[in-house]
Amino acid sequence: MEKNMKKYFPIFLLPTLVSFVIVFFIPFVMGIYLSFTRFTTVENATWVGIENYIKAFTQDENFLNALWFTIKFTIVSVITINICAFLLALLLTRALKGTAFFRTVFFMPNLIGGIVLGYIWNLLINSILGIFGYDITYSADYGFWGLVFLLNWQLIGYMMVIYIASLQNIPSELNEAARIDGATPFSILRHITIPMVMPAVTICLFLTITNSFKLFDQNLALTGGAPARETSMLALDIFNTFYGRIGWQGVGQAKAVVFFIIVALISFIQLKITSRKEVEN
Amino acid sequence: MASISLKNIKKTYEDGVTVIEDLNLEIKDKEFVILVGPSGCGKSTTLRMIAGLEEITDGEMYIGDKLVNDVSPKNRDIAMVFQSYALYPHMNVYKNMAFGLKNRKVPKDIIDKKVHEAAKMLDIEQYLNRKPRALSGGQRQRVALGRAMVREPAVFLLDEPLSNLDAKLRTEMRSRISMLHKELQTTFVYVTHDQTEAMTMGDRIVVMKDGKIMQNDTPQMLYNHPQNMFVAGFIGSPQMNFIYCKIVRNTDGYYAQFENYNIKLPDRMNDALSLYTDKEVVLGIRPENIHLAKDTKKKSFEMYIDIAEMTGSDYYLYGKLGGKNIIANVPSNMQIKSDTTCSMLIDTDRLHIFDKVSENLICD
Repeated sequence: MEKNMKKYFPIFLLPTLVSFVIVFFIPFVMGIYLSFTRFTTVENATWVGIENYIKAFTQDENFLNALWFTIKFTIVSVITINICAFLLALLLTRALKGTAFFRTVFFMPNLIGGIVLGYIWNLLINSILGIFGYDITYSADYGFWGLVFLLNWQLIGYMMVIYIASLQNIPSELNEAARIDGATPFSILRHITIPMVMPAVTICLFLTITNSFKLFDQNLALTGGAPARETSMLALDIFNTFYGRIGWQGVGQAKAVVFFIIVALISFIQLKITSRKEVEN
Repeated sequence: MASISLKNIKKTYEDGVTVIEDLNLEIKDKEFVILVGPSGCGKSTTLRMIAGLEEITDGEMYIGDKLVNDVSPKNRDIAMVFQSYALYPHMNVYKNMAFGLKNRKVPKDIIDKKVHEAAKMLDIEQYLNRKPRALSGGQRQRVALGRAMVREPAVFLLDEPLSNLDAKLRTEMRSRISMLHKELQTTFVYVTHDQTEAMTMGDRIVVMKDGKIMQNDTPQMLYNHPQNMFVAGFIGSPQMNFIYCKIVRNTDGYYAQFENYNIKLPDRMNDALSLYTDKEVVLGIRPENIHLAKDTKKKSFEMYIDIAEMTGSDYYLYGKLGGKNIIANVPSNMQIKSDTTCSMLIDTDRLHIFDKVSENLICD
């Protein structure tokens, strides 16, 4: 059996490998190549070296603004989403009535598409701000907190489900042993519960960091970058550069490469740090 | 140091199921008491109520002279060892043992001293820096004991602590826990479903069934004078033989009669049996009280041996007496083969007679 597996594994691997190369690897390498060219189509490209990268950082203030806005947004939403999701999970793993109902309710926003969510919250926020004579595009702060609120609303339920699964995995004897050992509820949370759910923290941090960093459709639908592109996040800025400025496709491509490196680097570092804290049973 | 007193304890779960109806139990200071019974008999629930992990529906529980019904587990001055050990997987052995003391704000140097003392006593000093997953079952069990010891509690509660260990280790840990009890001089309450553990370790055994105490006595008394058929069948391995028979009165006394057999019952039973003349009762005979007859006397009977099991020092003889299956336990100093017939003798001095309906002891 094992011998046959060794003999035939390339055949089983081939379909996945071929599709991976065609739909991911080749476009990815092409993308990197194009970021070093001035181009209109893939065939019509002239090599320009690192000019696009220099342009992105020096001649386009929107890019740095979007980068800074995205970082701020990611920090705030990662913290708020995870804290709220964890607290909700703690609450909904108590033996209380209606927990199943509330779990479903909190998870539901996650089933709605980003664009739809963006428009719904655009209407909601504007109708409230309208009372005071403003709208969401009045100031970048409104857009920022609007986006934070929206993503919280969308992702808390999802992260909560992961935290719930992890909390339910903690053997009840551990809590009982800790109670007998004289631990207060807070010290049980700190010394038992949180260390035990570290694997879930790793996953949830990864998901929220990447989702926040790559946020696009919600951003497009809620603020569209207004006012004056101040609330453009990286993905939206790249989109606008690529499709909105003639001759800047290469710069858009260069920004996309930078974007990829940042996301990959941050998630890699985060995974390294948090998985070190995980408990191996 | 503390005694434990359970008065009219009742436990009903939220779904309305009552597992313990009315339990009364006194445990003296420094006593080693074993709660034993089949699964679902309420022994673990009782222990968990003593620990404060389960609420008491009704009744009063005292530890020392203090009413503890509403006292939280941490304020009951108890320590508990769980079947699954319940070691904190993310802490090393030292931290596992120190956690309880740390929560009680004990100074670091005292914690250090106590942890090392306990670890030394339990032979786990060399593992103090290891995480529980790097330890074997027996070592984990010792850490769990150590974690309980360092706190110097008034009461030790042990919930089937040896069930996850292999047979050899279980025997070793059994004596270790007994030694520990001797050294620590504290009250031990120990839950098990294993009657060997119960018999070998406890000063006193409480046999439970369906939330009720069937008998509460010393191991010797439970074995030699079981108060009902449940205890008689539960304690002892192989279990006691039960033979349904009729009490017949003859001129020279009472006889137990079944099929073609008549067994003369000792005269000391006469008074008790007078009420049962011509009635059906249950005769209880321990396997070791059925001997091989040396010479074929009148009192002996023939037993067909279906299977002869050699255990080393003894033979377990599975056979038939009349149409009934019985087990005899005889020394293995002579060879006995399956599918043969042997002459056997019942030691009538060691008979137990039970009421057929109430299953309670009539006399022994």
